[in-house]
Formats: sequence, structure tokens, C-alpha cells
Amino acid sequence: MQTYATKLIDLIESKAEGIAKQWAADVMKHDRTPSYHSLPKDMVIEQGTDFYKLFRRMSLAENSYEEAKTFSWKYAEDFYRKKIPLHEAIYALILMRRNLWLYAEFQGTFVTALEKQQAVESLNRTILMFDYVSYQVTEKYQELIIGSVERRLGAIKTLMMKGQIGGKGSTYKIGLMTIFLLVACVLTYYYHAILGTGIIFTHLFYIPIILASIWWGKKGIFAAIFLGVLILTSHALFLKALPFVDDIIRAIMFVLIGGVIGWLMEGIKKVEEMYQ
Amino acid sequence: MKAFTTKLVDLTQKNSETIARQWAKDVKTNAKTYTYHEASEDKIILQAKDFYSNFQMMFFHESPYEQAEEIFEKYAEERYREGTPLHEALYALILMRRHMWLYAEFQAMFNAEVEHRQAVGSLSRTILMFDYIIYVVARKFWKLMKLELLAIKNTQ
Repeated sequence: MQTYATKLIDLIESKAEGIAKQWAADVMKHDRTPSYHSLPKDMVIEQGTDFYKLFRRMSLAENSYEEAKTFSWKYAEDFYRKKIPLHEAIYALILMRRNLWLYAEFQGTFVTALEKQQAVESLNRTILMFDYVSYQVTEKYQELIIGSVERRLGAIKTLMMKGQIGGKGSTYKIGLMTIFLLVACVLTYYYHAILGTGIIFTHLFYIPIILASIWWGKKGIFAAIFLGVLILTSHALFLKALPFVDDIIRAIMFVLIGGVIGWLMEGIKKVEEMYQ
Repeated sequence: MKAFTTKLVDLTQKNSETIARQWAKDVKTNAKTYTYHEASEDKIILQAKDFYSNFQMMFFHESPYEQAEEIFEKYAEERYREGTPLHEALYALILMRRHMWLYAEFQAMFNAEVEHRQAVGSLSRTILMFDYIIYVVARKFWKLMKLELLAIKNTQ
């Protein structure tokens, strides 16, 4: 068995580039791998050659599964960067295995009855290699997708204060929001009751409105409603002489901004949950 | 060749319960199929039995690829909805194929010299069917992931 396996390994290694070229020609025109059609041929051949050379390394390695990672991870990273869909990347691997087998058959490697008998074992070996590689490539692709989503959500996740300070994020959020709303009450009273003006201090209210929507999604709108009601009530009490219109517009804007951000955050949370 | 091929798939079909149980035992302890560890054994045995039954149908179909699309897109959708990661769903399929083969070997199906010769052809056919299934399942997962992202974008 070992002799036969060595014979096959030698054949694959010595002809790695030739088989890779056949595979490249196949994958670059196959219906199920359309994304490969426009890739640089050299790059495709190089991936094929790496795969066929892996066969010997895996046969010699103590832990063939770990050895397969040297190929699988690079393959997944290269093709993920080239925006090749996962199912096409997997089908390209299937074609790699098929081309290897076709080449061995074409070379008349399995002529005698004994060789045919041994071929079953050899076929199992190539299948095992493929099984490892396809599993690792799929896993890596998913890791890369999650990594890319997490990078894009990075800034928002920081603002969301997830798992902050020993997992007590929600307590700190409530505490911080209470402080913000109290400061808003004080500012409103100071500007409306003491200074008697509706000057631009209300722009500062967008800080708690936005944070509340980021932290609690749609429920965060209650902070915006609270602040809207606050300026309208305060206006009614302390600024009777001034027109109401400006503060009505401000209150509507608070609720609108809070609502839109809360809605967007629900979507982002769904994306995050999906990738987790 | 046809007779031999039939023999392998018939053996699997006749003993689908036993093979499914062996597969379930494997998948529930295998480090590469972590999601299956907590799954109900009866449920996954049924899943495997259905799979082998569908596999037989596909194996003898005139257009196995079209048949794979018809049957296994649904299979992929079910795994996706259950929250099984794609690499685990694919590895579970790989183990299904492996258990088919292991059972046949255990039953000493390939003892005779002539059968050994024919086994290469039969194994190749089985692998081809699994290649189709793996491709269809991976493609369906990819589509579902894209659809979900699109739906989220639309709600925004």
C-alpha cells in the first residue's frame, strides 16, 4: 500500500504544475465557477500547484489536519480578498481533486487488478485531504466574513459599551443617561427660567438622544420624547412671550433623530447577531 | 458496474437506520460538528435517514445535479434556519458519506477482487453526488446570508 501511495504522491508532486494548469483551464471556464473566469491565470495555477504539493506534506506530516491549514488558510484568504463566493471556492477545490484523479487515470496508474484494488485506498486518501481542506476553507471564510463585519461595526460597538467594566455595561449606561438627562433639565431651567432665552443650548441634547438610540435601539426614543416634552413644558412655563414654533420644531427633530438612529441600530444588531 | 453501484446504494438504503445511528453518534461527539452535540438524537437520526433516502433518489436520477438542487437546497435552508454554521453542516455531510462507506466496508462488501476493481467506479459516482450536494448546500447558505443582509439593509 505504502509503495502505491508513494508512487501516486511522486506522480502528483512531479506533475503538480501540469495538473494545476489543467485545473486552471477547467476552473476558468466552468459554469459553476464564474468568478474564476476573470482571475489572473498565474495566480490560479499557483494555488493549484500549492494544493497538489500539499499532498506529500500531508502524507509525511504527523498531524495531517494541521498541515492542511498551511494551504487552506492561504487559499481562503486569497480568494476571499478576490471576492470569490464560498460555494465557488469549494467547487474549485472539488475540481482540483477531480483533475488529480483524472490525471492519474490518464497516466495509466491503475492498470493491474492489484493497482485497482489499491486505488480504492488511494482515492480515500485524496478524499480525506479534500475533506480537511474544504472544512478549513469554509471555516476560514466565515471567520473572514465575521472579522470584516466586526471591523466595520467597531466604532459603533465601542459606543454601544458592550461588556464594559466587568459586564456591568447596562448599569453604567443607565447611570450615564440619568446624568445627561439631569444636566439637560438644569440647562433648560437655566436658559429658559433665568436667562429667558431659547438660545442654541438644545443642540447638546443630541448627545443623550443619539447615545440612547445606540444603546437601546428603538426603545432609546423615550430619551428623545423626554427631552422634547421637557423643552415644550419649560417653554410653556417660562417663555410665554416667545413664539412656540422653534421649540416645537426642535422637539420634533429630537424624536425624529432618536427614532431613525434607533431603527438603524436594530438593523446593525441583527447583522451582529447573525454573524455571531 | 451498474449492478455494483446499485448494491452500494441499496445497502445504504436498507440499513439507513443503522448507518444514521452510527453517523449521529459520530456527529454528536466530533469536534468539527459542535452544533450537533446539543441536538436531539432522534431528530438528527431522522435527518440522516431522510438524507440517505433522498441520496438514493438523486443517485439514480437522470439529471442528478438538478435533483440535488431540488432536494438539498431545502436541506441547506433547514440547517441555516437551525443556526448550524456552514462548515459544520458540510462536515456533517462529509461524515454521512464516510459512514456509508464504512458500513459497506464493515459488511465486507468489497472483498472479491472483481468487486475491488468496481469499487473505484462506485466510489467515484458516490463522491460526484456528494460534490453536487456540497456545492448546492454551500451556494444556498451563501444566498441566504446575502438575502438576510439585503433584508436588513431594506429595513434601514
